[in-house]
Amino acid sequence: MTSTAKGDRIEGSERSTGGCPVIHLDASPPLEVGSHWQKANEMREASPAFFNTHAQGYWVFTRYDEVREMYQHPEIFSSESITPWEPDPVYRFVPTQIDPPEHAKYRQLISSWFAPNAVKRIAPEAHEIGRRLVADLAARGECDFVTDFAMRLPTEIFLTIIGVPNSDADLFVPWVEDFFAGFGGDLAQQEAMGAALGGIGQYWVDVLDARRHEAQPRENDFVSLLMHSEIDGEPLGDALILDILTVLVLAGLDTTRGQLGYLFRHLAEHPDDRHRLIAEPELIPSAVEESLRLYTIVFGDGRKVAQDTDFHGCPLTKGDMVYGLVSGANRDPRVYDRPDEFIVDRRSNNHLGFAGGPHRCLGAHLARMVMKVAVEEWLTVIPDFEVASVEPLMERGGGAMMTLLSLPLSWEVSA
Amino acid sequence: MKLSVSAELCRGHGRCYTLAEDLLEDDDEGYVSVRGLIIDVPDDQVDDARNAAGSCPERAITLLED
Repeated sequence: MTSTAKGDRIEGSERSTGGCPVIHLDASPPLEVGSHWQKANEMREASPAFFNTHAQGYWVFTRYDEVREMYQHPEIFSSESITPWEPDPVYRFVPTQIDPPEHAKYRQLISSWFAPNAVKRIAPEAHEIGRRLVADLAARGECDFVTDFAMRLPTEIFLTIIGVPNSDADLFVPWVEDFFAGFGGDLAQQEAMGAALGGIGQYWVDVLDARRHEAQPRENDFVSLLMHSEIDGEPLGDALILDILTVLVLAGLDTTRGQLGYLFRHLAEHPDDRHRLIAEPELIPSAVEESLRLYTIVFGDGRKVAQDTDFHGCPLTKGDMVYGLVSGANRDPRVYDRPDEFIVDRRSNNHLGFAGGPHRCLGAHLARMVMKVAVEEWLTVIPDFEVASVEPLMERGGGAMMTLLSLPLSWEVSA
Repeated sequence: MKLSVSAELCRGHGRCYTLAEDLLEDDDEGYVSVRGLIIDVPDDQVDDARNAAGSCPERAITLLED
């Protein structure tokens, strides 16, 4: 997967890496579960920074302090591109790829909708959804957790908070699956990915049309709110609203599924932690945070250098791409005691699983609530379960967000 | 003990007011309501305050020992 070269010149180039070791790492292929975190650990302990010759070449920062610094300095590390192997993307996600100060205008429109108060408003419905999904599965005695439960739950809760029927998860679940099957680069899936994007777009066009010409915003209806909002005195317009809605779908559903898969694999394999959460359910939020730290689905996060900078000895040039290895940061022994262990009641857990700085995950509060609902409702009905696979589990590569490709679980069903 | 939250650094992660719920609360946008302020920490909440400060991914919280 990697080869480390000595010296500070990039092969075939006159460019200096300022003494940073040069590697070649392509993290996109699927691997056995845990391989990506293992790789991140090795890189972090070998050097705080690398120059990776993958694609056009980009810098990699492996430790907590440097990754946090990257997030907190958008004036140096722009979000114009967030994929280090694609410095000039043809798309521009809003607000994901907008830099301060313009970013705040878009962000403020959306952030109240996903703030803790707003998330609390739908918590009763979210628990109801969780109870129903667990009840549907319980009698089967087995399921593929990441497809049968972990995708469906965040999708239904997301649609609820947006204010459209949660039964439309029947449409969104296959769309999101098809999108990410193609997004990973599988050429056979490109047509399905395009069709999925088309389906998602048309769905929101229909939602917009149903609300057009309404004088007042509908209550508890996010699309209606956007249609009645202004930026700099101008309405947002259909194109921008569609862009925002599509970003929320693509950023929020598959990610929560991925994180839930790792948490439930842990619970399946660690009965002591499972039993502790049943006995002390007040520890569930802490366990959720620990899974975001230890099993972070963000292998790394990219930014584009906006000005020439010497960053901890790395001579960064405007236009260079950098990659903050979030999965390395979240297990950095300079920050965490017993960094590779799952500690249910860990204190001072300042993980970067939801990023940091101005682009801190907008859906963080919602994602936490979804994960809490999943654990509470599942453990109430299915307290004991195990991974039902003799083959090693595989995870999607770190090019997109990571997720287990399959998590077969089984449990005893009483007659 | 006193606690201060940097208005510049706070990004509304929500870790602090979740962990120190008797001391801190959120505003409508999800930021801690005392951004940019210095508050007193009652003796029985010092432990929660330490946990809140240590859990902030932005290191936006500073504790000032008496």
